Amino acid sequence: MVVGDVSTHTELLVIGAGPGGYVAAIRAAQLGMEVTLVEREAVGGTCLNHGCIPSKALITASDRAHQARNSETMGINGEITVSFDTLMGWKDSVVDQLTGGVELLCEQAGITLMEGLAVFAGENSVRIVHEGSGEGAETVEFEHAIVATGSAAVELPSLPYDEDRILDSRQALALETIPDRLLIVGAGYIGMELATAFQKLGADVTVIEMLDKPLPRYDGDITQVVHNRATDLGVEFKFGYRGTDYTADDETITIQIESERGDTESITAENALVAVGREPVTESVEPDAAGLDLDDDGFIPTDGFGQTAVDSIYAIGDVAGEPLLAHQAMYEGQVVAEVIAGEPSAIDARAVPAVVFTDPEIATVGMTESDAEAAAFTPLVGEASLRSLGRALTLDDTDGFVRLIADSKTEIVLGAQLVAPEASELVGELGLAVELSATLTDVAETIHTHPTLSEAIVEAAEDALGRAIHSA
Amino acid sequence: MKQELELPDVGEGIAEGEIVAWLVEPGDYVEEDQVLAEVETDKAVVDLPSPFEGTVTELHAEEGDIVAVGSVIVTFETEGDGADDGSTAEDQAATESAETETETAQASSGQAEPDSATPAADTSTPPENAQTDTGAETPTPQSHIFAPPRVRRLARELGVDLGTIASANGDHPISETDVRRAAGQGESTQPQQATASSVEPEPEGAQTESAATPESDTVDSQSQSSVSTETEPRVSGPAANREKTLAAPATRQLAREMGIDIDDVPTDTIRDGTPFVSPADVEAFANRDSATEEQSQHHADPASGGSEMAVEPAGETGDEERVPYRGIRKVIGDNMEQAKFNAPHVSHHDSTEIEQLVETRQLFNERVDEDFSITYLPFVIKAVTRALKDHPYMNSSLDKEAGEIVLKDHYDIGIATATERGLVVPVIADADKKGVRQLAREAAELISRARNNEITPDEMQGSTFTITNFGAIGGEYATPIINYPEAAILGLGAIKERPQVEDGEVVAQHTLPLSLTVDHRLIDGAVAAQFTNDVKTYLNTPEMLLL
Repeated sequence: MVVGDVSTHTELLVIGAGPGGYVAAIRAAQLGMEVTLVEREAVGGTCLNHGCIPSKALITASDRAHQARNSETMGINGEITVSFDTLMGWKDSVVDQLTGGVELLCEQAGITLMEGLAVFAGENSVRIVHEGSGEGAETVEFEHAIVATGSAAVELPSLPYDEDRILDSRQALALETIPDRLLIVGAGYIGMELATAFQKLGADVTVIEMLDKPLPRYDGDITQVVHNRATDLGVEFKFGYRGTDYTADDETITIQIESERGDTESITAENALVAVGREPVTESVEPDAAGLDLDDDGFIPTDGFGQTAVDSIYAIGDVAGEPLLAHQAMYEGQVVAEVIAGEPSAIDARAVPAVVFTDPEIATVGMTESDAEAAAFTPLVGEASLRSLGRALTLDDTDGFVRLIADSKTEIVLGAQLVAPEASELVGELGLAVELSATLTDVAETIHTHPTLSEAIVEAAEDALGRAIHSA
Repeated sequence: MKQELELPDVGEGIAEGEIVAWLVEPGDYVEEDQVLAEVETDKAVVDLPSPFEGTVTELHAEEGDIVAVGSVIVTFETEGDGADDGSTAEDQAATESAETETETAQASSGQAEPDSATPAADTSTPPENAQTDTGAETPTPQSHIFAPPRVRRLARELGVDLGTIASANGDHPISETDVRRAAGQGESTQPQQATASSVEPEPEGAQTESAATPESDTVDSQSQSSVSTETEPRVSGPAANREKTLAAPATRQLAREMGIDIDDVPTDTIRDGTPFVSPADVEAFANRDSATEEQSQHHADPASGGSEMAVEPAGETGDEERVPYRGIRKVIGDNMEQAKFNAPHVSHHDSTEIEQLVETRQLFNERVDEDFSITYLPFVIKAVTRALKDHPYMNSSLDKEAGEIVLKDHYDIGIATATERGLVVPVIADADKKGVRQLAREAAELISRARNNEITPDEMQGSTFTITNFGAIGGEYATPIINYPEAAILGLGAIKERPQVEDGEVVAQHTLPLSLTVDHRLIDGAVAAQFTNDVKTYLNTPEMLLL
């Protein structure tokens, strides 16, 4: 210990105040633990400050503007202008409101909030480095620790972030103006969401993707709907290309791209957003010092209770492995807090929904047809298109479908995939169905409101049962 | 070939029994009818004879385990061809192993069917040997364990392995009921419904035969008994016949397809105050035999046995000892609860001098040549039966469902008897028609056999009025608990010389303190007092018994 160090003791130390960390801290406090929550940067983590929330604010605004400009068929006409300053100000106020709320919740729960970088000093202690100049460090000893340090954008060696022309998603969400031309490298969910939003806000977006289609994790017929919509909006796609080199000045960036066959091209834009994936943030905590090893992908290995190989240390959220989703982190945070408190909890959810806020939205939960086959089920598949659905027509948004996967023997719903407006909301019911082992009949014979998009779920269930009313 | 013995219904419609002691161990060669184990039910301890001749290969329960009727408890290797004598051997097991009822045979023959609900039968044995040992199965993959979060949480709480249940359930969803059942909790554990009971206030177990004085060795404190009706496990119980039932649409459809009224399906799950039926409940109800069997397997499963232990909080606090509440102790407890919570008890205390009776008894013992000594108890029984005839409500019971009070025309007197295992109540039937000598003989024999654990469940049923002689151990007055659903119980204090006032003089006289408890729903205090007065008259003036 350095002279002048302060040493304190805490029952539970949570490292990182993102969705996983703050939820774990609050649940632990509810369960009577004495909790210290240390955050290096901003309470709320990437999700609230630089990810889910600001991007959804941006997407909502872009949708509004787009719809207002494209509702002539409903007799709505007018000149729509977007004040990007105001939009970003509103976005920031939403973020502030949420992060302020989280901070307040933590205080009310009696959690000790500390600002600083936590670095392991052993199996039961960390040093908290206060990053402001001259603020020093202090040691905190803990009985249990939860590592919830999240993830950060992966950097491409060929296109290193420069905080000016080459941006990660966080910086893209903090742009001061809408770029006239925007290059997006990577057609994953972040790339596709922001491509759609910026295109709707008036940018000319080009998406460069090494693979031959967007959103490679999803089935082709689902991504096709989103791909088509994006193309209709004017997004340009360069599939099978990767960036090889670039030149940048104060105003533009030019990227050389090359296809697998050796075709080359150069594209110029105001900014390039690199969104090729996220990787766990582990180095900053110096896991070695606590005796923690990382797996090949850099994640901290945990068991079904979130416990690492070191008994006193748990890990949750992005740092603990796939799926890198805020709601997964929140769930794990609750479970781990309960486990530490001695409650009979475990990380065993069957249904982890995933959503892409494209246009239309994609949402999935549980198994796909091939997952079901791999798990030795004989899948029964039902689908319903939005094309004939009253509510979809009245929304003037009929592209998309709902697909349910069930076990043909028991007719228990195993999973669902949706590509539809509001798919992110619709999937909630299906997550419940999967967790409760509901059957197709349960879903089909539960009355759904008319006219709503949720009727497509009933229709898909009935289709699987071979008795759909509205489909041929 | 491999043979399995299921725990037969060794009593009258018991649901489970405790393996008190194994008399064989794996590797032993046993003859047919050789006693394998002592099994304690809620009524008695019985010997379990072997239906097979062969070698014991495995015992599926530990001593002290509670095992459901129909659970496999012993595996044998016997001579002969398994394919054709499997089911007959099973039936044999059922019929031969004790005084049994036909339900066992049902359970057994269901068991012997190759397609019985055990998909995960030991693959190393040919399929025709209906295997029920679920311990050897391959684990169910996580993706095939269908259980809602609340069920998973409960399973973790109770330490139940969902994979084990899943393999028995097929791919059907696991309910909370399934988990509780696997944990050994819940519906199947106690067939206590209409059990009768009575008791006494003081500590039992302190005394054995030696504690009873020669003078009063016939009766001991306390009582217990049994008029068990509901005997089958829940799943095969009677139709529930509710007005309202909660169930998922698929469950309702399943019931419709099976031609079952969902309101008839028994369930212990209540949601929002309304019974909730799961698909498993429907299937269990639809296929009672196989459900009974399946449930039994859960009981036999070593994993669930272990988890049952896990449910009970370990004795963590200091040196406290934690004793399982089960077997006779639990039956007594349940009966007491039932009696005391259902029947408003009121006790009436009195005493009578019995100088004449002391002489009469002496006379009897001098003149009657028996190999036992006549105690006061037969005289009390005689006095009581005479008084009962004049006070019919004292020999009645309440049939609440019918809204009728049943005035019995027979006088069967239960004798509360303390044994090492707890309180039991052997019954002397038609006591009113028997003389003092016969009553003395029967009482002595019943009590002796009760204490030696030789009494059969039959001999502890059907009493209409109970006598408890706590005075044999000591004490004057008590507030006995009625042997429900009887209407009254008479407690006898210690007979000894006490100061009495006679003609203004204090004299020492033998007196008998009486403690009568009645069910105040049926009997008012005045009747209780009059009845007691009559009993007193017969006891202090024994000649009156000649009338």
